[in-house]
Amino acid sequence: MNSNVNNFVINIATANGTGSQSSNLIILHTMFEMGIPVSGKNLFPSNISGLPTWFIIRASEAGYQAPGDKTDIQIIMNKDTWAKDVAALESGTIIIYNEDVKLPIEREDCLAFGMPMTKMARKINPKMAKLMANMYYVGGLAHILGINVDDVIKAVESQFKGKEKAIEMNMQAINEGIAFAAENWNIETEFKAESRTKNPDTFLIEGNEATALGSVYGGINMLSWYPITPSSSVAEGIIKWLPELRTAKDGGITCAVIQAEDELAAAGMVLGAGWAGGRGMTCTSGPGISLMSEFIGLSYFAEVPGVIWDVNRVGPSTGLPTRTQQGDLSMLYEASHGDTQHIVLIPGTVDECFEFGWRAFDYAEKYQTMIFGFSDLDLGMNRWPTEGFVYPETKMDRGKLIRNQKELDAVPNYGRYRDVDGDGIPYRTLPGSGIDPILYRGTGHDEDGIYSEDPIVYQKTMERLKRKIDGSRDDLPAPILREEERKELGIIFYGSMENTIKEIDDILESKGLSVSTCRVRALPYHSEVESFISRHNQNIVLEMNRDGQLFGILRKELPTSLLGKLHSVAYSDGMPPRARLYSEKIVNVLEEM
Amino acid sequence: MAIVKLNVIDLEKSEYKGGKSSLCPGCGHDQISNVIIQAAWENGLPPEGIAKMSGIGCSSKTPAYFLGKSHGFNTVHGRMPSVTTGANMVNKDLAFIAVSGDGDTASIGMGQFVHAIRRNLDMVYIIENNGVYGLTKGQYSATVEKGSKKKKGSINSQNPIDLCAMALNLGCGFVARSFSGSKKQLTALIRAAMSHKGMAIIDVISPCVTFANNDESYKSYNYVKENDEVLHIVDYISHYSPIEEVDIPEGQYREIELFDGSKIILETIGSNHDTTNVVSALAAVHEAEKNDKHVTGLLYYNGSIPTTTETLGLTDTPLSQLNEEEGRPNEQSLVKVNARFRGS
Ligand SMILES: Cc1ncc(C[n+]2csc(CCOP(=O)(O)OP(=O)(O)O)c2C)c(N)n1
Ligand code: SF4
Ligand SMILES: [Mg+2]
Repeated sequence: MNSNVNNFVINIATANGTGSQSSNLIILHTMFEMGIPVSGKNLFPSNISGLPTWFIIRASEAGYQAPGDKTDIQIIMNKDTWAKDVAALESGTIIIYNEDVKLPIEREDCLAFGMPMTKMARKINPKMAKLMANMYYVGGLAHILGINVDDVIKAVESQFKGKEKAIEMNMQAINEGIAFAAENWNIETEFKAESRTKNPDTFLIEGNEATALGSVYGGINMLSWYPITPSSSVAEGIIKWLPELRTAKDGGITCAVIQAEDELAAAGMVLGAGWAGGRGMTCTSGPGISLMSEFIGLSYFAEVPGVIWDVNRVGPSTGLPTRTQQGDLSMLYEASHGDTQHIVLIPGTVDECFEFGWRAFDYAEKYQTMIFGFSDLDLGMNRWPTEGFVYPETKMDRGKLIRNQKELDAVPNYGRYRDVDGDGIPYRTLPGSGIDPILYRGTGHDEDGIYSEDPIVYQKTMERLKRKIDGSRDDLPAPILREEERKELGIIFYGSMENTIKEIDDILESKGLSVSTCRVRALPYHSEVESFISRHNQNIVLEMNRDGQLFGILRKELPTSLLGKLHSVAYSDGMPPRARLYSEKIVNVLEEM
Repeated sequence: MAIVKLNVIDLEKSEYKGGKSSLCPGCGHDQISNVIIQAAWENGLPPEGIAKMSGIGCSSKTPAYFLGKSHGFNTVHGRMPSVTTGANMVNKDLAFIAVSGDGDTASIGMGQFVHAIRRNLDMVYIIENNGVYGLTKGQYSATVEKGSKKKKGSINSQNPIDLCAMALNLGCGFVARSFSGSKKQLTALIRAAMSHKGMAIIDVISPCVTFANNDESYKSYNYVKENDEVLHIVDYISHYSPIEEVDIPEGQYREIELFDGSKIILETIGSNHDTTNVVSALAAVHEAEKNDKHVTGLLYYNGSIPTTTETLGLTDTPLSQLNEEEGRPNEQSLVKVNARFRGS
């Protein structure tokens, strides 16, 4: 078997705003539709036009989705990064470059192939030459990898849906690229793209779009948002789907959308909606959460349901706005002043983005508190495979909601904040109902919602809130366990690290280790996380941040007896996780034990 | 036997009362609370249909002291408008009556104030304006006039932010200024605001007896009484038979019909203020400021601006009352969505 068939990494270096994204997606979708396990990552700048962008496409028969550790085929279009990109390549790399940039490729040890892409594009359409030039590398690549042009056409058609002229022009460019390569490039390579049987159900989709759809199916009634990368496409996704999916019989929409003046206001609107009995949500990234903090505490203390999605980008501060990280976890878990604790749902796949998208609203109303969805740029803004979204299997859960006098009478000894059922979750009524009208407040309050500064009343309220959130543990999504017979090493991880864990696991097992994995999918963490840790000799908490945020939370909450087996591997440089790098760090920690 | 007065929905005034106030005796805010009670009762608003909203401050505490049969939300400092926005989006049938302070609105909450007006949120927004932060013990607020002096401390030398002028500039459809001590004027204005659809801003000078009721303070009782430039005499005539008789003035007057069919009568005294002209409203505000006066009355009225919920094209049922079938698309729709992604 030729190990270079469907096993390679392509790196495409362009400048943003040059239309290269279309070409890159065409390559990605062509291979995906051929049934090749493939993943694509867009490394883009915080800028609209002119700064360097890299798109990494990895084909992997083993299904590895992380960007590989080395590039096999480098496409170079961008003069600004030219020298650095060329210098970084390992010996033997295939280079496809745009001759018209007129910069040298001084790498005798690599296989370099030029094409006058801009000149050729100018012949088709002088005005659009800059954009069209990118289609030529699609052609060149198709030639090298042996991709049939018929497979490309489908992807071009879906990229330029219905725009006949664009499809025709771009196909002409791709065909010319293939012809040029066939005629001028004397290349022999083992890298090949070979069709496999594709599951006809699978398609690629961004996590944010999945989250958006999930929210639409979760019955969102109010979306407030303030634009911020990488979360804006969640809001834009919802807005896009509302007319088709959420138009009522009278022709009106069943979800209000407000572009807020800032994240504080967006959070306030979520609380207002939840207080008035609707399903309110906002989406943001770390800087927005920082601003929303005061309201998050109000939601916790006054017990008002709401949903906030945090699509994590690199912090602190404005950080690296278009790079990925898991740096907001501990902030979400304990956001706002005083003692707080929040439920955090952590999807690791696009299917879970959809599922947690709708479930978040049920949890919010059930626990009468703010629910966080925690995604990141890598999961949210790159395309991942799914076999199709699964319809919610449970009815909407409105929680302990009292809508009329009869329901109120059925609750013995009712008080807005009285723990009638012993689970820490009180009953609530809605404005407009006239039932138990109280003044909600963020100040101290007794079981009837009346202002109180009484020490015992305060302490008991805080104790009940702790019990309430603690009680959600085993009701939240359970961890995904992949366990070995030999309980040598457990890796605890979460979120988009899911896309790299298989490769990390394989690397570690190739070194003779027996590795089990546990993907945490919610906070407060499920009791199965604790038993997983106790079953394994040693455990590593693997995450994409500097300080080991989940590690910190576990250390705080686990029994002291387990802490000796718990170790942290936390690393973040803004890039999506690379398997070799993280497995080396794990090995280092193991060696130090 | 004493005859108990009932309003148009057969409720006694006591049904509109709230808890006992804990504000300083004589505080202007308590007077405003009483007027809110009076206005809601006279207008015959069903208490359960009202939502009381506030931020943080002495003023924002007052929802505990009026309309005890209505739900309310005492939110966080300066953020009442956003919470009201969210609630309004999911239940457009609620009648929102909000109180805020000058600190709550003109400093920390300025952004939300401005944007709520810009959206023309359907609410009554009362600013209980005393020129100081009462609750944090009397620091100046941003509405204090240049030259004014509170009980302790030096004369304020910065320009004030005039919230009515801001509201006028932002295109607010109902802008009024009043004084907590002018019970009749304030009642008519609040009643009119309750009958208006869209944002109604009422900036009410409300003396802080503890920190700024000295004569050098432009927002003290004595100062306001002496420097109140009343634009017109305001009377409110409800669309149903009123509780109180209203005399139609004999001299010149203007009549404005409100959204619910009620009317306000503006009886001319002195200059004939045109409430449809935003430029003369602004001129009246700035003129008064120049002369260290307060102009009170209805500054501007335009009842035809669409509200937020109207412009969003929402379904008729308040969103919070939708059932599962209306709130969640059916299973077949997801089959279609998946098929579309598959390109089939
Ligand atoms: C975020 C935040 N900052 C500061 C405070 C402290 N604080 C409480 S009330 C207030 C000022 C209130 O002034 P105003 O709105 O004019 O109300 P008044 O008490 O004068 O009626 C301040 C600064 C707070 N509660 N929250
Ligand atoms: S401190 Fe001032 S504003 Fe606060 S209650 Fe007392 S008088 Fe009123
Ligand atoms: Mg004040």
